[in-house]
Amino acid sequence: MTRCLDEAKLQSYFDGELSIDMMESVTSHLASCATCAAAARELEEESALVMSALAAEFETNVPTQHLRERIDAAVLGDRLAVAEATQKTSGLAGFFSSLLNFGTQRTLGYASLAVVMAFAAIFAVVKLNSKPEETASKQPEPARSVAVNTSSPNANPNPVSTGSTDSLALQSGTQSTSTAPTIKVHYTRPQSTTNAAAPKPATAPVKLLPGERSYLQTIAKLDSTIKSNEKDMRPALQVEYQRNLAVVDRAIAATRSAAKSNPNDPDAADFMFAAYQSKVDLLNTIADARLGGGRGH
Amino acid sequence: MKKKLSAVSVVGLVLSLAVAALAHDDKSNTKTGGGVERSLAVDTEATVTLCVASGTLQVRGWDKNEVRVRSLDAAQIDFHRIEKVKDTSKPPNRVDVIVLNKSTGANPKFDCQAIADVEMEVPAGATVQVQTRDGDIIITGVAGAYAGSQNGDITIERATKLVEAGSVGGSIILKNSSGRINLSSAGGGVEAINIRAASDDDTFEVGTVSGDIQLDRISNPKVTIKTVNGNMMMSGPLAKSGSYGLTNMAGDIVLAMPHDASFQLNAKVQDKQYIVSDFTLKYLSDVTPPPPPVRTKPKTPEAKGKTPETKGKTPAPTPKTGPVIAPIVVERTLPMSHVLRRVSAVCGSGDATISIASFGGTVRLKKI
Repeated sequence: MTRCLDEAKLQSYFDGELSIDMMESVTSHLASCATCAAAARELEEESALVMSALAAEFETNVPTQHLRERIDAAVLGDRLAVAEATQKTSGLAGFFSSLLNFGTQRTLGYASLAVVMAFAAIFAVVKLNSKPEETASKQPEPARSVAVNTSSPNANPNPVSTGSTDSLALQSGTQSTSTAPTIKVHYTRPQSTTNAAAPKPATAPVKLLPGERSYLQTIAKLDSTIKSNEKDMRPALQVEYQRNLAVVDRAIAATRSAAKSNPNDPDAADFMFAAYQSKVDLLNTIADARLGGGRGH
Repeated sequence: MKKKLSAVSVVGLVLSLAVAALAHDDKSNTKTGGGVERSLAVDTEATVTLCVASGTLQVRGWDKNEVRVRSLDAAQIDFHRIEKVKDTSKPPNRVDVIVLNKSTGANPKFDCQAIADVEMEVPAGATVQVQTRDGDIIITGVAGAYAGSQNGDITIERATKLVEAGSVGGSIILKNSSGRINLSSAGGGVEAINIRAASDDDTFEVGTVSGDIQLDRISNPKVTIKTVNGNMMMSGPLAKSGSYGLTNMAGDIVLAMPHDASFQLNAKVQDKQYIVSDFTLKYLSDVTPPPPPVRTKPKTPEAKGKTPETKGKTPAPTPKTGPVIAPIVVERTLPMSHVLRRVSAVCGSGDATISIASFGGTVRLKKI
């Protein structure tokens, strides 16, 4: 790329709106072109100034363009549906449909009716609760057994088994530091009689090699840390991350294949572990870099 | 009237003393040709940190016990003394240099957020910790250097005790330095020239993901080089009894050594990989595949920054008398994929140990 970058492209670059290929190309151009690098720096400084000035506004949740489009589409769809229904209904059906067509006065009428009904329902519930013993004895056996556990949260950290030994999904790892007794509600799913014979979808379990799990867990944790705030990652960092991640993933795939086809060869496993370790190191580096480093006292 | 005069003279004396004291200890923000300059007397072996968001950072060691910081872009430069026990009679041994932009003002929240090129002089015995996100870092003539940049290049020369440098996308160049060295870059290349150990246990570690590694005259007793996909080139004499560990997943490995190099080679390579040697080697073994050992405990991920583990590795076999092959070219014999083999050979009396684990590419031992 020899031509200088225009401001629109630079802005898109800083906003992370370019494709990965384009980002790579812009990054390499900025590394070699002093003029563009200066322009980029100026733009970045302006952006930083604007961002710091509007930080409070940016923190407010506002609908994105996509969300707005979806809402508009939904509203339009509803309108079309109402219009179609209005065209189709006539006579008695038209009368009922007109009942559902809310005008201002009618809305008020419906609202007051709803309030009266709500009062009546509350009254009925209070009446029923005034005789708890009677009602409790008459209640049928619940389908789900509910156990209330007031013991320490660590006593049974994982009461519900997922049934999948190869699941790589991680627990959040955070435990409540509160000293107040916690209430855990366990329920066991009632045995379904209708679907008992139905075949489950064929999910081929990934057979992990010995020692692989701990690497995968570490990688998943680091990955979720990075993804939790991926928008904070600058475009140049994102490009490097994706490029090197692809390299490491290819190495893992190749070495894993070797380890799988040579299960008794410790060297094959060592290569695989080295590749996994490279990924752990890369993710650590990116996680640190994403946070902006700081002085690290 | 007399009373008034004496009061004025006392105030004037106090003010002049205060100004003189400040000028001696902390030469505050002096505008030099549109920039800002500030200096502070520090301990000879002080630790000085400098951190900006973007901009080139240049650090130079000098023979004064003083830190001097200059910037043309910054609006303000402050020193923050970090000490466990406040003792203003002594020069500080830990100082944070805080660079602030005009746009952010003096708000400490914007520490490390400045966009400015900064030049800094520190005592030659100082350790510097320098960080920038996008700019380059150049450090010369200090005792210790910690340098980090996301995308910028890092160049360090004449460090005497310790160097730790890391970059995500930038390259790292280290020249004429000694001590414990750790250099890592994900996508950038790493180059090190003329590096020595300052003490017996000074290690030299380099790691990249896709960047190439080029080393020349590294005499630390333990050298560890790792890359996923980069090429490795190491040239120069080997340290006597030195240990050299080279690991890669793809890319070529070239070791260029003097004709009288004495080493033992332990290589783990894929069967289809070439090992090409210009040296006369005593061929000890070539096992395909190696015997399955008893694995007691699976490996676990290493903590970041930890020295790569060497435990569990097969101990190097003792040199035995074997057939002399000069030079050897070990070529692939079977067209099978993912069959690994070990090659052990010795050159001369086998003083240094070279351990190569290569999953792809060619291994070449060259004479220089």
